[in-house]
Amino acid sequence: MNARKKAITVFGIIALLVGLNFMVFQIPGIAEPVSNSTETINNSAPDGVGGIMGGIAKFISYTGFRNATPGHLIMIVVGLFFIFLAIKYEYEPLLLIPIGTGIIIGNIPFFQDGGINLQLGIYQEGSVLNYLYFGVVKGIYPPLIFLGIGAMTDFSSLISNPRLMLLGAAAQIGIFLTLIGALYLGFNMPEAGAIGIIGGADGPTAIFLSSKLANGGIINGVQTQNLIGPIAIAAYSYMALVPVIQPPVMRLLTSKKERVIRMKPPRSVSKLEKIIFPILGLILTTFISPGALPLLGMLFFGNILKESGVTKRLADTARNPLIDIVTILLGVTVGASTQADVFLTGGSILIFILGALSFILATAGGIFFAKVMNLFLSEGNKINPLIGAAGVSAVPDSARVVQIEGLKYDPSNHLLMHAMAPNVAGVIGSAVAAGVLMSFIM
Amino acid sequence: MHLIFQIPELILEGGIIAVIGYTIVFTALLILYYTFLYLGKVLAWNTRRRLAQAGKLSHQETEIEVTGEEAAAIALAIFLCRDLHDDESDVITIKRVSKVYSPWSSKIYGIHTFSR
Repeated sequence: MNARKKAITVFGIIALLVGLNFMVFQIPGIAEPVSNSTETINNSAPDGVGGIMGGIAKFISYTGFRNATPGHLIMIVVGLFFIFLAIKYEYEPLLLIPIGTGIIIGNIPFFQDGGINLQLGIYQEGSVLNYLYFGVVKGIYPPLIFLGIGAMTDFSSLISNPRLMLLGAAAQIGIFLTLIGALYLGFNMPEAGAIGIIGGADGPTAIFLSSKLANGGIINGVQTQNLIGPIAIAAYSYMALVPVIQPPVMRLLTSKKERVIRMKPPRSVSKLEKIIFPILGLILTTFISPGALPLLGMLFFGNILKESGVTKRLADTARNPLIDIVTILLGVTVGASTQADVFLTGGSILIFILGALSFILATAGGIFFAKVMNLFLSEGNKINPLIGAAGVSAVPDSARVVQIEGLKYDPSNHLLMHAMAPNVAGVIGSAVAAGVLMSFIM
Repeated sequence: MHLIFQIPELILEGGIIAVIGYTIVFTALLILYYTFLYLGKVLAWNTRRRLAQAGKLSHQETEIEVTGEEAAAIALAIFLCRDLHDDESDVITIKRVSKVYSPWSSKIYGIHTFSR
């Protein structure tokens, strides 16, 4: 199936869901949970046949069938759609399978009336899911993911051609323009900051910042909504859809001549440089933006484990079992946090629209800046502007998209190694941006 | 006619945060860029100096950087040269094994032995 059909399928289903959501919340009464009369929840001791009947009635009132609302069913369909995308098109399956399953888990209807806490739902204190969700709410999982990413990442392409770092900075324009867009649409400042970070195209960073700025608490005197679920889902969905979103923007902003520019092969990088990079990177970036310390600290720590060459066991653990465990917990709890009554709001739809815009703006920002840089670079040193699109982060998918697009116009022009440089710079840039937003808004 | 376009205070504040924030992100990566630009140069200069001291670098040679592609080609060449084949003596001998008996086809272990 070609990319256009994929795009039509994906956006068609999203449009259908939006329409359904609109219908559900426009028809009075339909969104409210099916009423459970308190008479059926009679906790008195069973008394003969009446007691048995009461027990059966109580059981029925506790079933998912009795408590289901259209919202639950919509969200279960969304979860199934995520699983479909992961299996059929292999869009970020390591994320979409846990998130999709989590959405189903979080939207199994159960009895919630009368303030009774059955300790089942993710938002019910004392439930297993609630304990696991603690890692999201307190921003514990994202730094652990960054540790694994650091232990996986090879910064060689960035060190060999450091000017490509600027593309990673330029693409962060998506974050800041989305912030303004969110304010314009009526979100308050902390919420807008959390929504803006979707443009960083970095799931852990988005979760980290939204857990700080839009967690349902009072931030800097402003009451916020709990937007962790919608923001995380939007960020990961669009990251999975990078192969659909980015190519049209890339084609629109570049000429055929620019797409076939061949870049100088990157020089080989010494071991010393590879060791110095995470140490200096850690010190410089966190001195500038201390708010990014949990993310960048762990990212560079993971990279030191990798590059030092003497902590292979620790690096292996960080990049394999640890990141896998945290990905499972993060995916399933973020998915489960989309409980219909919290997730299906008009705000979530706006977040999805803003998220799509932020990805487009970030891609455009990176490409545009590469074109500007080319104005000042001599012939032979020019940058293929396609690699600017990789500045949005979304490692390594956006770099892969650049490679595929580049090959379409010149089958022997491999851009992957060059694109990895702005790609990893984008990770650093989005973490710095998150730190900056935290320090401004909190 | 006066056109008055008033930006709401919150959006103005957001705009200021956006401009300053973007500038800070750019500055952070700009500092990293210059740091590693000059670090690479310093390390290359140091390598050139050490090679010159050891007499391994002629005055004409200025380029000591090796591209990743060249490094990959050199590594492949070394692999093909050294590691692809085992070192063998090229002497083929047939040794007579002292133990000539092997029970693998012995009739005494056939199943017919136990048929009665």
